[in-house]
This record gives sequence, structure tokens and C-alpha cells, in this order.
Amino acid sequence: MSDDKVKITRRGFVKGTGVLTGAAALLSVDARAAQGQARKLGPGAVEIELQVNGERRRLAVEPRTTLATALRDDLGLTGTKIGCDRGACGACTVMLGNEPVPSCTVFALDAVGHPVTTIEGLARGEQLAPIQAAFVAQDALQCGFCTPGMVMSCHALLQRNAHPSEEEVRQAVSGNLCRCGTYPKVFEAALAAASGKVALSPLPSGSGGSGAGTAQPPQPEGHRANESPAKETTTADTTSTAHPNTAEGEHRPLAVGVLGGPVHREDRKVPESEPRAWDADTRLSVVGHATPRLDGPEKVTGQARYCYDVQLPGMLHAAVVRSPHPHARIRAVDVSAAEKMPGVKATYVVERVLGPAELRLKPKAPGKYPIVRYEGQPVAAVAATTRARAEDAARRVSVDYEVLPHVSDIEAAQRPDAPLVFEGPVEQPSTAGGGGAAKGLPQKGNVRGPNVQTLPKDGDVDNALAASPVRVDERFSTEVQTHSAMETHGAVADWKPDGLTVYESTQGIYTVLEELATLFELPKTKVRVFCEFTGGGFGAKFGAGNHGVIAAHLSRKAKVPVRLFLDRRAEHLAVGNRPSSLQRLRIGATKDGKLTALRLDAFGSAGCAAGAGCSGPVKNIYPAKVVHIEESDVFLHAGPAAAFRAPGHPQGAFGLEQAIDSLAHELGMDPLELRDRNDPHPARREERRIGAQKIGWAEARKMKPGAHPGPVKRGVGFAQGVWYNFDGAPSAAEVLIHDDGSVECRSGVADIGGGIRTAVAQVVAEVLGIRSSEVLVRIGDTAFPQGPASGGSMTTQMLTPAVRVAAERARDELFRLAPGEQELRAAARKLKRTVRGTGERARDYGGWKEDRYATTIGGAQFAEVEVDTETGLIHVVRVVAVHDCGRPVNRLALESQINGGIIQGISFALFERRALDQPTGRMVNADLERYRIAGSKDVPKIESVIIENYVGRTNTDVSGIGEPATVPTAAAIANAVFHATGKRVRHTPMTPGVVLAALGGLV
Amino acid sequence: MNSFSWIEPTDVASAIAAGAQQGALFKAGGVDVTDLMKEHVAQPTALVNLRRVAELDFLREENGTLAIGPLVTLARLADDQRVAKVATALAQAARAAATPQIRNLATLGGNLAQRPRCPYFRSELFHCRRKGGTECFAIQGENQDHAVFDNDRCAIVHPSGTATALVALRASLKLRGPRGERTLPIEQFFVRPEQDVTRENVLQPGELIVEIRVPTGRRSEYVKLMQKQSFDWPLADAAVSFDLDSGAVRDPRVVLGAAAPVPWRAAAAEKALAGAKLNDASARAVARLATQGATPLDKNKHKVPALQAAVLRSLRAAGGLA
Repeated sequence: MSDDKVKITRRGFVKGTGVLTGAAALLSVDARAAQGQARKLGPGAVEIELQVNGERRRLAVEPRTTLATALRDDLGLTGTKIGCDRGACGACTVMLGNEPVPSCTVFALDAVGHPVTTIEGLARGEQLAPIQAAFVAQDALQCGFCTPGMVMSCHALLQRNAHPSEEEVRQAVSGNLCRCGTYPKVFEAALAAASGKVALSPLPSGSGGSGAGTAQPPQPEGHRANESPAKETTTADTTSTAHPNTAEGEHRPLAVGVLGGPVHREDRKVPESEPRAWDADTRLSVVGHATPRLDGPEKVTGQARYCYDVQLPGMLHAAVVRSPHPHARIRAVDVSAAEKMPGVKATYVVERVLGPAELRLKPKAPGKYPIVRYEGQPVAAVAATTRARAEDAARRVSVDYEVLPHVSDIEAAQRPDAPLVFEGPVEQPSTAGGGGAAKGLPQKGNVRGPNVQTLPKDGDVDNALAASPVRVDERFSTEVQTHSAMETHGAVADWKPDGLTVYESTQGIYTVLEELATLFELPKTKVRVFCEFTGGGFGAKFGAGNHGVIAAHLSRKAKVPVRLFLDRRAEHLAVGNRPSSLQRLRIGATKDGKLTALRLDAFGSAGCAAGAGCSGPVKNIYPAKVVHIEESDVFLHAGPAAAFRAPGHPQGAFGLEQAIDSLAHELGMDPLELRDRNDPHPARREERRIGAQKIGWAEARKMKPGAHPGPVKRGVGFAQGVWYNFDGAPSAAEVLIHDDGSVECRSGVADIGGGIRTAVAQVVAEVLGIRSSEVLVRIGDTAFPQGPASGGSMTTQMLTPAVRVAAERARDELFRLAPGEQELRAAARKLKRTVRGTGERARDYGGWKEDRYATTIGGAQFAEVEVDTETGLIHVVRVVAVHDCGRPVNRLALESQINGGIIQGISFALFERRALDQPTGRMVNADLERYRIAGSKDVPKIESVIIENYVGRTNTDVSGIGEPATVPTAAAIANAVFHATGKRVRHTPMTPGVVLAALGGLV
Repeated sequence: MNSFSWIEPTDVASAIAAGAQQGALFKAGGVDVTDLMKEHVAQPTALVNLRRVAELDFLREENGTLAIGPLVTLARLADDQRVAKVATALAQAARAAATPQIRNLATLGGNLAQRPRCPYFRSELFHCRRKGGTECFAIQGENQDHAVFDNDRCAIVHPSGTATALVALRASLKLRGPRGERTLPIEQFFVRPEQDVTRENVLQPGELIVEIRVPTGRRSEYVKLMQKQSFDWPLADAAVSFDLDSGAVRDPRVVLGAAAPVPWRAAAAEKALAGAKLNDASARAVARLATQGATPLDKNKHKVPALQAAVLRSLRAAGGLA
């Protein structure tokens, strides 16, 4: 049967008008009639009828089609997500009859005769179902990709148990993985829905964050500073055209400091075009308050359209042929058999691989094909009418590999006879979102480095160590962690004669645009990138990536749109990871605990990429008299690393914060006291104080380390972290006030789950004196002003100042053109045209400069653990986290991100490890089952506190939270394990084998 | 996944006839079969769907025996009050398996007949001994989760927690195939690598489990230890069952899961337990004996204390010591 025939048939079914041609038989419950006889259906398309969300839907599917694929690809119900395709993540959960099931593990034929309810079928009439409304109200969603499955599991629970306990909720969602770590709010949402106290909430009215769900009263107009009457009452200081952003600047005093403590004024040189800064003295009525996400209703109903869900007319599906070998030379690639397979429309053989480090000197005679340096490296690709057909065809691509010796172990790779990953010195190209490595370092064998840094430059660390009365010398190591966003990497590329349009799951639509424009030598005006919703990124989704480039090539060849999304295995192998680390820390101190010397020697592997450094914490927390760092990359035949939530920091803090804990033990000093003596950061000091009270530090630490009788031993530990206030990324927005008074804000930014839409709406609402739910925020389109890439914990701090300027200018322009009007809507209606204000974020104000030890972003975490000394299992009972992020914008989303950082940190600490089989160099846990990610029952009780630390560098004085929240967790857990057992666990993940070995129970 | 035809039998006889055909594979809940097919480890030409064979879906208690149809889902076993009372370890094992969603699909028959989770076995890139190759890649490889007993040819562990419980409960299985019906004690259902390294059980082509029979009324307990507390395969699991006769243990079984290629009866532990008074000291002694003769691999030594802990905790619970 020809491919086209099936498609026509299928389309006919969907419309309900088709004539059933070409398919084998109609399977329905009636087909059971013939007793004693087995009916045979397929292998070609079979016509079936499914009852979905109360409607009868007829479609033609091959027997191998899963219910998830049929719902998504045949019925267009893309609210059901596929995260792992193996039943392990629960993103595809639907109700089959009265029971939740993973629809990726059910054949469509199995669903015949059973009513199917998907996320699209939960809402009743014009209202969200109570569980959906509760998810929005409690912020039980971040990136939102797992949310439909999570909602379905909670819905199923409430159907059979109207009043569940939290334990029962945890159990009910124990088959749903959330990489953003939304679980605590999911528990709250399910309990709130059960309590019946959730307000009714309407369905989303359209796409793009216009949604419902806020419960704020109308706000008074404009921002209100509680002092400086000279500047507060008018808007004249921010008129649009008179003062361009390039002005020389004027001196303004800004209130800075930690709220609750002494706030003082510092002089800043501020461009005249800047509005009066919201500083430590400013009280706001919308910004800073808990605001349910505006795009929550889209996410809980399955209407949010991720790039994964984009379906364009005529769209093909691509499958990629990946190398099964970690090191090989490709002699030949033959796609001819694949091209003859049914439904195949285009093939492509990969010419260049993005991600790995690149040779400084290009080889004189480069081969026709790239050298394979990691398992899973893309070699070729096929585009066909269905994903299954593309996969069938990809298996027919014949690749002739000359398999070369490989090295997969960081110790083995440093031996002189180790197979070389690169035949000469390399540099690491960076993307806008990060990555890269120090340039021009020496390279010997597979070792690139060391990168030597000394503070102060003329310091002599060895002398300082030798002269120190108290010393510790400790070694730590951490394993490779993969990002494992629930939405895999991928893109839909649509190449047309007049330009390339790409829907790419990304953190930076502009960085994707730039990469594609460069690689395809297209003017930037000919490339447009969309990304309305991103299903998690964590640092790995910046450039177009090999998948984006391949999709564009296939689309150009096939002349129709091509969808290329990675499967879970490729996601683990080929699109980034957190590098491993081997750390030796030497610390010298005086007897009263003043640090005299701090030395880190580190090796790490970013696979076939460079950039495995982990010295951030060592360089930026404790100003020892001499700080000395030597760190090197070790290359392996393994997938290239990518920026991953606070690159280098969780592993660096795991070493440093344990070494400091050891030093405190050595000194017989309270670990908090030791930090108070050495850490000059005012916010962290306050954070330690608050957290210590909350966790009951003084009482708990009366117990000497290891004194707990056991066998399950309890302990409390502490660790802290650092992150940075970045400056300089492009960041622009525009605000439109339409002639009916409706308000829109546009910026080319992506929302990876932090909730930037809502933060933007809050700022606009604050300025215009309206509700944040009245602001339509449109993002994720490169036709909009260039927003920041969503990385470095800087999305909100970069974008809100630009949005504020744009909103102020639009408002001022409106009232200038409609004189005499007092009220926004009235003015807009009177004017009868749209008013537009554009804004850019000014560079950090003059007079402010990041001090690595005192003005950075802090964060302090306390962990309480139980260590089962019989099994080596660690149970994290409770985490208290105290963080600062400049001005808080949305406290709900902040809590969510802190929860998420902690949960990812627990997962890193206890579970995650890329397991490479040494003899073959292949990853043997490239799934979401043996690659373990924290689930609902692994989540402790989390208490978070946000303190406000103002530094006075932008007009909103926001900093960031996404990364800081995950930095100290693993170290805090390890220090708690030490307190419980008296033994130090020096390796992540702290699995039973590692823990028992540390306890001395394993030989 | 390759293309295949779908066979939809309505009764056991037609299912057996279809399943006996070359290239056919039975599918009940489909959890394991879809996984194997997605990995191209199973490439059947026909899938025989058992899900609509109503006569395989029953759960009844008769004369001291619980008779369970192979299509009964793990979710039903986990929730059924009767099962929890008369075959406690089985209900506990069902409850501890997989995820809530999977338990709604997964059947007891499928759970017993599922293939091992060994990543080398599950990857088409490794032609391992169990797939007809000449090597067990796990023995020298990533063997953290592998067997600590009987692991010199093929180091898989049997993946079924319900199997661990059913061996402890002295269950028997009724099988029916093209050559008729047979009933065996469940231990005889499982195949050790030395008997045939390519299979985990005795099922012949076209042969089905048609009934699981569990004697009721014995004290029993199943304990599963996991690294992750939400959906994980066992680090170690154990089931014990016994009768108490004036405080003395009678006819004990101590069975280890995730320990060997088959559910592993700990003979020395059973012997020590028989006739003993159960107290904390005797439970500890029995738990230590449970791993006697273990031969852990490079990376799974931690499983030995975990198995001992699982036995100890199941004994404490079953004996009311906890």
C-alpha cells in the first residue's frame, strides 16, 4: 500500500467523512463476536475506532502504533507528552477506562473499546477542572512538560480517593518524573483540590500567556516609592524620545543592602533615560508578590504548544543514524536502501558535528566524514512520512566504520599509552549560552591544562600551606550527570525559498537564529525561530545543535517541514552533560580558623569537549590569603558536555564545602562559626543565621559526629554557594497599549520553566497600574525585540529592566498624546491607536562592580538526613534553604525554582551517574529507569526563605535564583552524612556501595 | 519497533494455537513486550493479544488456595483486601512493583514471564550469551545491579518481585500449551543459566500460564529495598513465609530477589530458621546465613548486606518483632 493512501484515509477519518480504503479491517468491540477464532489484523494499517474524551474517533493505525503516538500524531491531541517512551516517566499518562496508564506502553489497538481520557478532556465546559485550577493556583508546574501526566495521575487519585493524604499523593505520582522538581507544589495542589477550596478558573482564551488564574485585586496606578517625593509622582523622568539610552548619565543615590538589616545609600551613575530605580526602599504592589503563572492554564490543559507538539501541513518525521562506536573512522555511508523504503522523502549525511572541541590546526587532509568521537554521534538522517517509517529506513542506512581504540575512563585516559581523543591541541567553541573553555592551554595526550589561577597573582600557596598551623588535604570526585530535560532536544524546520523557519526547543531563540544563519550562510532576515514553550533545558539548549541543522538540511531537500526530536537514549548520549570531577583540596588555617591558604587541583572530563572546571566556589566564597587553582580537562570518547545549571558549581561546592566542614571538625569549631570568620558576604551571613534557627542547628549539633546509635543514623549538615550577577547580554522588549486599552508585551525570550512571562506581566502591570493577568505577554519569536537567552540565572534580571523602560515609555507616550486623561483605558480609547514603547536594559549602573566575595548571589542550605548503616541508603528528611536573588519578582515561581534546585541537587547527590561500559565505551543506562532521577517519594520536606539583597545596578535590581538553588545541596547532604556517621562520603552519587565503603562495611 | 500482525484471540485454545506459530509472541499487559520491541530485542512477526481473553482474568479463593488468573493486574493484587490477608507477601510485592500507571497494565502472568532488565540484554548492541552470543558483558562490565549468586555464566537477576513472593508462598503454576496442561511448583518454572542460558522459564512455544495457585494462610512478608523510593528496581528484595507452631517456626521459606538469575531460596537460612524461636538474635543469624555462598561481582558487593537487611526486615515483620 502506498504511503499516500494511508494518509488520505487517515485524514478522512479525522474529519469523519472519509471512505475506508486500503486499510485491513475495522477493529471494534463487536469484533469479539466470533468465539473460538483468532482474528488477524495488520501488519499494515488497521482501521479502528477510539472513544477519546467522549467522542468517537476513527483512525487507521499500524498495529505497532502506541496509543500515545495515535493520540498525538493521528488525532492531534498533543497535550499527552512522550518523555521516555518506555513507561518510566509518566508524561504520557492518560486514563484508559478508570485507570491511569502510560500511553506509550499501550498499543492503540489495545485501547479499542475502552474510553480514553486525555488532558484535553478533563476540563468541564468553560472551566478548568478543580485539579487543573489547583495546579495553577499552587504553581505546581514549571516548564510544564510533565504537567499533563502529573495532572492525570492526580485526577485518577482523586477519582478513587476524594481525601488523600500527602503520602497517598506522593504514591499516586510516583510514576511521574519532573526534572524541574515541581513535586512539593504538586502535593499541595492535589490536597488543595481535594479540600474543595480551589476557586473556579476559566479555560485559557488563547495562546501565549493571556491566561487566567490570578487573584489579585486591581492595583493602584504606577509604582510607589515610599520616599523621595521629588521623583515619585510624575512619569516625566522616563519620557520616551527625549532621552535615548546612550546618555552620559547622572549620579543618583540608591538604597542598597539586605532588607531587615542596615540599608545604606550608594551613588550610582545612571543613564538619564533610565526610570527611577526600584531600590531597597521601594515597595511595590504587584512585583514581589506571589502570582500564579499566566500560562498555567495552557500548561494544565495540554494547550501549551511546545516545539515537540508543532505539527505543520505535510510535515515529515526524521530519524537519525547514530554511531554505536565511541571512536571510529567512517569509510562510507550508503543511504540508497533507505531511500527506497516506503514513505522516505529525504536523506542527509552529516558533514560537520557541533559540540566537541575543535582542532586548533585543521587537518591537512580531512576525511569525507567527521571522525566519530562519541557513541551516539550523528552520522546520517532520514525524513519520512511517519516516525516509525523514518526509523525503519534509518536502520537500512549502511555505515562502514573503521572502529578505533577508545578510552572511557578518566584515570585511564591520562596514561601515556591511552588512545587519543584528539590528535592535536584543541579549543572549545562557545555558544551564547555558555560553554567554551580558557583559550590556548597546553595539551598533552588527553589532558588539556592546567589552567593555573592564583589570587593574589604573586601568592605562593605552597609556602602559605606549609606555614599554616592547621591543614586539611582531601580528595573528592563527582560523576557525569545528564540534563535529562523532559522535552528532549529537537526542532521542526521549514525551509522555504524565501527563508528558513525553525521551531526549536531552546533556551535562546536568537542564539539558534545566529547559528543557523551562520551555518547556512543566510542573512539573519531570512531565518525566523519560534519557541513558545520549552520543556526544560538546564543549560543544554542554546544553539541550533546538530538536530536543528540536520532538520534544516532535510527540509531543504524534501521541500516540506521536517520534525526531528531526539529519543531519550540520544538525549543522554549526544546533547550535553555535567562534566565529572576529581578534586584535591588543601586548606590551611590559623588555630582560630582564619583561612591562610586554599588550593584546588582538579581534573574533570567533559567527554570530547573542554570546559570541565569546577573552581567557581573556591574562587568566590572564602578570601584566603592565597588561593591557588590548577585545573585540567581530560578528554574521553564520550558525548560532549554542555552548560548545566551552575556549571562547575555543584561539583565544586561538593568538594570545597566538605573540606571546610572537615577543617571545622579539625579545629573543633562549629562549621557555621568557621564560615562567619571567613565569609565576608553580608547576605550569606544572614542566610546562615536564619537557616540555623529554622533547622534547629544548635540543638542538633550538640551531638558529636558519628555519635548517633543507629542503625539508622540521623545528622544535620550545612553548605553554601555562590553565583554571579552578569551584565551585558542583549535584552529588549516592547510594550503596546492598544486602542481598546488592552496591553501587550513582546520580547524574543524563551521560558524554560522559570516563569518569565509572568514576571514580565508583573512589571508591566506595576508600571501601568493594571493587573498582571491583563497583560498579554508574547515571547519566543525572533520577530520580537531581542530578549536574553535563558541561562546564567539572568533571564529575569536581564529582561525586567527593559520591560520596565518599555512600559514606562508606552504609558508616558499615551498620556502625552491623550492629555487630560487620568486613566489608562480611557486614554487609550480616546487616542484610537496603538501606542508602543520600546526598552532596552541599560548596562549595570556605573559605580557598581561585582565583588567576588561580597556582592555575588549567595545561598545557604541545611540538610537533615538518615543514613541506614545496614544498607548504605541515605534518606534526605528535610532541607532548609535560605537564598537571595536581589528583588524577588514572583514569590511563587521563586519557591518553585528553589524546590527544583534542591531536588535536582538531591538527585545529583544520591542517584545520577552516566554509566559507561568500559570495554565498549557505551552508555548502559541511557533511559529514565536505570538513569535514576529523583521522584516524588525521594523529595524531603523543603522549607525555603528568600531574603532581599539589593545591590543597585539596574532599575529593577533583580538578580537570579535558578542556578544558586542547586549549588550547595549535595555538599549539605554529604556534611549531614558526616554528622550522622562520623564518616565522610567523598563521591557522588552517594549510592549504597559508596556509602557502605565509606562506613568501612565493604571490603 | 518492527511491523507485525496483531492476533486477537478470544479464548485460550485459539490463543495457544496462534502463539505456537513461528515468530509469534504473546502479549498481555504489554509492558515488557513493548519495551523489548522498541529496543529491537524482540522482533515478532505476530503479536498474540491475550488481553481480551476473558477466561484468563479471575481471582478466587477456594479450599485454602488462592487461584489467580494470569491477566489479573498488579494493581488489583496490590489493592485486593483478600490477597493482602491470605497471601500478604504477594500483595506487598505487587504494590512495590513499577509505577502506579504500569501496575494498571502489568499482569501477574506477564510479570512472571518478563525478560530480565540487564542493560546488556536489553540493548541490541550487545550480542550477549542470553541472546545466543558467547559472552556475558555484565560480568566484566557495569554490574552494580547484577546477580550475587549463580552469576558465572550470565549475571542477570530475575526481575519479578512477585516471583520472589510466590516462591516463598509455595505457589504452583498451571501451564497450558499445544501439548496439553501441566502444573508445577513455581520454583520449577524458572530456568537457571546452567540449564539453558537463553531462557528464564520453561514455557514452550504456544504455552501459557493459565492459573497461579497460592496456598493461603501462611505468615508471609515481602520487603523491597530500592535506591530511589519512587519507581526503582530492587537493590535487594526478600520474601519469607512460615507457620508458627507454639512459637516455633515451621516450614520456612526464605527467598531472595534481585540476587540470582532465578528467585533464590536461601537454603542455609531456611534450615536455621526451621524449628527456631523467632527473636531478634535468631532473625539476625538467619539473615546472615541468607547470603552464605554469595559470589558478588566487582561492583555489586553492596548487595550482600542489602539482601541480609531485606531478610532481617521481612523476618521481623512476619514474626511481629518490628
